Amino acid sequence: MKKKAFVALVSAMICTVSVFGMTGCKGSNSNEVEFFSSKSENAQIMKKLVDQFNKEHAKEGVKVVLNTPADAGTVLKTRLTKNDIPDIIAYGGDQTYTELESAGVLKDLSQESYMNSVSDQYMQMVYDVQKDREKTAYAVPYATNASGVIYNVDKFKELGLKIPKTWDEFEEVIRRIEDAGGQPFEYAFKDDWTLLPPWNSMAPDLAPETFYDERLAGKTTFESTHKEIADKYLELLKHGQKDIMGTGYDDANKAFANGDAYMLINGNWAISEIKKNNPDIHLDMFALPASNDESKNYVTSGVDVLLCASAKTKHPKIVKEFLEFMMKPENNQKYIDDQFAFSPINGVEQKDETVASAQKDIEKGKVANFPDHYYPSGYDLASILSEYAMNYSTGMKDEENTKEFLKNLDTQYDAVNNK
Amino acid sequence: MKAKHWKVNPVYYIGVGIMAILFFTFHTVPFLKGVFYSFTDWKGFGDWNFVGLKNYGVVFSNKDILSAYFFTFKFALVSTILVNIVSLFLACGLSANVRFKSFLRGVYFLPYMLGMLIVGFVFNFIFGNLIPELGRAVKSDALSTNILGSSHAFWAIVFVTIWAGCAFDTLIYMAGLQAIDKEIYEAAALDGAIGWKRFIRVTFPLLAPSFTINMVLSVKSYLMVYDQIMAMTGGGPGKSTTSIAVMIYKQGLGHGQFAVQTANAVVLFIVVVVISVFQLRVLEKREEKVG
Repeated sequence: MKKKAFVALVSAMICTVSVFGMTGCKGSNSNEVEFFSSKSENAQIMKKLVDQFNKEHAKEGVKVVLNTPADAGTVLKTRLTKNDIPDIIAYGGDQTYTELESAGVLKDLSQESYMNSVSDQYMQMVYDVQKDREKTAYAVPYATNASGVIYNVDKFKELGLKIPKTWDEFEEVIRRIEDAGGQPFEYAFKDDWTLLPPWNSMAPDLAPETFYDERLAGKTTFESTHKEIADKYLELLKHGQKDIMGTGYDDANKAFANGDAYMLINGNWAISEIKKNNPDIHLDMFALPASNDESKNYVTSGVDVLLCASAKTKHPKIVKEFLEFMMKPENNQKYIDDQFAFSPINGVEQKDETVASAQKDIEKGKVANFPDHYYPSGYDLASILSEYAMNYSTGMKDEENTKEFLKNLDTQYDAVNNK
Repeated sequence: MKAKHWKVNPVYYIGVGIMAILFFTFHTVPFLKGVFYSFTDWKGFGDWNFVGLKNYGVVFSNKDILSAYFFTFKFALVSTILVNIVSLFLACGLSANVRFKSFLRGVYFLPYMLGMLIVGFVFNFIFGNLIPELGRAVKSDALSTNILGSSHAFWAIVFVTIWAGCAFDTLIYMAGLQAIDKEIYEAAALDGAIGWKRFIRVTFPLLAPSFTINMVLSVKSYLMVYDQIMAMTGGGPGKSTTSIAVMIYKQGLGHGQFAVQTANAVVLFIVVVVISVFQLRVLEKREEKVG
């Protein structure tokens, strides 16, 4: 009999534990405002800003809590499936934002005081990724990034190299580095997203301006317009280290920080990672000159972080105050300085020398958005590029490889564009 | 006593009932929902419409999905065979009278205690950093590149799967070996069956039940391979190591193809069920013959 009682007790315990376990997962504190941030790189500075805000608003009894999960895009989309939308969201200006915005869950921020101080160019980029390019501010750009060529200033000086302004000059730089026995680029293609920055830096310079809309409507193809980009992409692959497919992002940054290579094609977000490995390294960044027409060589710059808010939040007042706090120029400056990022707020400037050359172009407005922000969200460009690079490294003939790659770009595009 | 009114003590019903409810709410319901959404154009959130069998049409016509199936079948076949061969050898070795038997058994069981993801990350480091360093030290070109970034990434993943997967299979085979009566071996020895012959004619047939379990479980888990691939290659280089499960996750949740990949998941489920049932049928018949 005792044994039976014991079994009953255990089952009862399991039952209660599982019930409490379930409620425990879900129960969010009603005095907390969730600030969902997609980037792990900026978690520290975001935490500082949040703490400062909480200190200043201690009286109100409501706390902003920062949440930066790994693989944030997936987490956010999964939460959208449950209609569980964070109060405040910091996200990139990409297709996930499009999906978020088109679900109709975001608050209209048009009337907020800080809207006047935001650069039109970056505001336009937010509109561009909204559904039907709707011109309503459901989000405000907070920080912008730039993709281009990060170079080792000291090593460039050693060879007396200057920043190339055209494709021919760029090739000349590569040639001179190789003549001196150096390695021009360090690639990190084991992490397939690193294949995107070179593409993103070249495509806006060389693709026809109306390409995105026409491709979406099926009026043009990659095959007929992107041959030059594909050729130049392949050309750049030929000047990396030996194991371009087997090196990961962290290892490549380490190798570059140690002076193994002269250049790294990536974005300003990589700078802090490189500096972690070698704090004394002198870096600068320039726009990848894909065209021989200097006026077309844009800095690829997009909205790296935008802020938006749930329309259904329980604490609209705190959310409003928090966004106003974040958008103050002095707070934005703190973020920009910490992240080597650029600011969409007029008057806030990135003064760090590591991105000086890119900042100059951005100030002049010589900026193009990331092309992959305009591709359909199912389009896995990174893995198509990865196949291209893989075929190159296994020795496929260039001509055949490029042909297959261009065709692949179109078939994959059509596969995800069948709405 | 209460037992007079109940044929079976109610405690068992409570225990089974709780499990049944939990299983139904957290497994069966989401599964049925998934099947339902595979007939819609749901993005994972927001509005949706019925689209009939369109998603299934995409699954069977998309080149990438088909190549993921090809990769997965190849992987499951190769891994199942190799894992079972290696496990069988290990089990025989560890059941023989070798020195440090219990210690060695512990060592070979260790990988099972580690999560597959951890194993994947450890080998990611070994393949990416340790082996290339060794390769440079001995000036070998083949060794100094990361195998996970090459066209041989498949074999690296198979290797890691064998390393981690053998533990469980070996355990099952060892249990099977212990269940074989010693007298049978004596009788076999009198009839002249020793060494290799004894293994083929006596031991292996008597291991039939263990063999069935291992075959079915291995095929099932390798058809759904996910952890080690995410940890080591993320499906790359290109799409060369993208298994079905990896594709469902990456495309379905990361690239907004929720409905299509849900249909894909349903197809995968059917494939796994059909193969498992087929295997059970065939292998159980074999067991009957042996028995």
